[in-house]
Amino acid sequence: MSAAALATEPVVQALERGSNSYAVATLGLTKRFGKRLAVDGLDLRIPAGSITGFVGPNGAGKTTTIRMLLGLIRPSAGRGTVLGHPLGNARAYLGRVGALIEGPTFYPALSGRENLMVLAHLGGISGKRVDVVLDRVGLGARGLDPFRTYSLGMRQRLGIGAALLPNPELLVLDEPTNGLDPYGIAEIRAMLRSFADDGMTVFVSSHLLAEIQQICEHLVVIEAGRLIFQGGVEELLAARAPELVVRTESCEDARRLLRLMTRIGRSAQMTGDDEGRTLEIAADCNWAGDLNRLAMADGITLVHLAERRATLEEAFFEITRNCGEKTPGKGEPAGAAADSDRSSGARGAGAARP
Amino acid sequence: MIWRAFASEWVKMRRRRLWYGSYGAITGVIVLTTIVTIAGALHHANARGDLTLAQLGHASGLSQGLTQSGVLLGAVSFSIAAFQFGGEFAHGTLRNLLVRQPRRTALMVGKCLAVLTFLIGAVVAATMVAICAAFVMAHLRGISTDAWTSGVGMTDLGTLLGDLTISACGFAIIGMIAGVLLRSSVIAIAAGLAVLLPVETILTDAIPGTARWLPAQLLEAIAQGGSSAAPFTAALATVSAYLVGAVLIALFVFVRQDVTA
Repeated sequence: MSAAALATEPVVQALERGSNSYAVATLGLTKRFGKRLAVDGLDLRIPAGSITGFVGPNGAGKTTTIRMLLGLIRPSAGRGTVLGHPLGNARAYLGRVGALIEGPTFYPALSGRENLMVLAHLGGISGKRVDVVLDRVGLGARGLDPFRTYSLGMRQRLGIGAALLPNPELLVLDEPTNGLDPYGIAEIRAMLRSFADDGMTVFVSSHLLAEIQQICEHLVVIEAGRLIFQGGVEELLAARAPELVVRTESCEDARRLLRLMTRIGRSAQMTGDDEGRTLEIAADCNWAGDLNRLAMADGITLVHLAERRATLEEAFFEITRNCGEKTPGKGEPAGAAADSDRSSGARGAGAARP
Repeated sequence: MIWRAFASEWVKMRRRRLWYGSYGAITGVIVLTTIVTIAGALHHANARGDLTLAQLGHASGLSQGLTQSGVLLGAVSFSIAAFQFGGEFAHGTLRNLLVRQPRRTALMVGKCLAVLTFLIGAVVAATMVAICAAFVMAHLRGISTDAWTSGVGMTDLGTLLGDLTISACGFAIIGMIAGVLLRSSVIAIAAGLAVLLPVETILTDAIPGTARWLPAQLLEAIAQGGSSAAPFTAALATVSAYLVGAVLIALFVFVRQDVTA
């Protein structure tokens, strides 16, 4: 069993005893379709009350994982809890879970309100709640129109409305911004923030890493069905060294600055932008003053100096590229994360599997 | 839980186009066979024993046209039920339903009951329209309808309505099972109708005695109140055994299967 799995075992046991630190925790969750391994021993922990992003390339196993959490697919192996109830007993927790899975699918001929009424009847939810939800997602005025006349953004909002019907403690949204324009994405982003403000745990999968970076405080990254990172978004970004971006007055200055950095042992490289006047230097903003003084002393004129933090996209590409090459305990988040997680409780530190 | 699934399904089935389409098709089938039967009745008996106007004047005359609608009514019932069930898989709406109602047996039974009540309503309404059409046709062809409205005539009509309803429900249950097992309304309807109509007819013609064992033949016999090949009680018992077995298999598959649609 991996270090992360060893760390998760007591978490799952605690959850089965009624602990509420995590809304979702799994141990060795696995799904095999014939010979194809879709999800491979996933040790997932979603802190209660957080907005957790679920990220991975196409076919990484995100939707299969979500379907297992919702009782739509039986795991081939592993176990876990959702809102304190075992995965195998979905009926015990689904009444407190809202979900939008793989886009909004509704009956085209029925109105938005009727579509929600279908689900409300099924879940024993009152008709008044349907109207509340329609207003909440901004469809109150179009609730009587047929679903087939809805725009993509309205369809997504109706899907989120359906997920909100039971007034859930856990909201699971699979690609809620798929196909939306920037305005639609901003709307969904604001909506997710308001849900979190209401105390919901939001678990959202998305390809849009910039969106995830903006709204999520916790992150789960999987690739080829395996967990390669989970922990705070800032934690992942901090793991990648910050850079100073410097633009000089001339190309000659840039070349001299590069030689200067090499001489003092700083990693630096030309970016190829601005006709060869821009360099990236591995250092954080605390060293910016020193850099400026060094440049001035060498007669180099800097016209721009700024710190550039890694984006989630860059961090994502880096960890997905490295996940097959490195093993836990060699400086990656894995080992340290598993250890720190034992003591950090609900926040959950980075953990990775080989 | 079953009631919730039943009420939920009825929200879908209240839509106007489904009513027009389903009730229209079922009414069309029953009224058409009634009109054709009365219009085609002979003045004098022939060697083949075809229906005569005199026979239509008996107490059972009103039912004569309706009995012929069994197979067509079954095909329509089968298609409606297969569409209602297979469509959930094809459109991906099943996952929404199962998140709100994870008790899959309750969901399936509730949906099944909703579809059956819908069909029973359709058969009863269509029969009422067909009765009106039969009276109009009787008037046009000079058939006395006094015996139709007698106690015997009404009992005969009630029995026939029951038989037609049982037959339509049997076809509908087969349609639901096909929808669940094939997970597609189009495939379920195409494959189901192909097996129930031409394949069974060919088998019946080619192999004597098979009408006693083939489901569509048995359901047709039930709609007619029994036939020489399959008496009513025997047909009902055999079909019931088939349906109970098939429903149990469909439930087992539905409860166990992964929902990936």
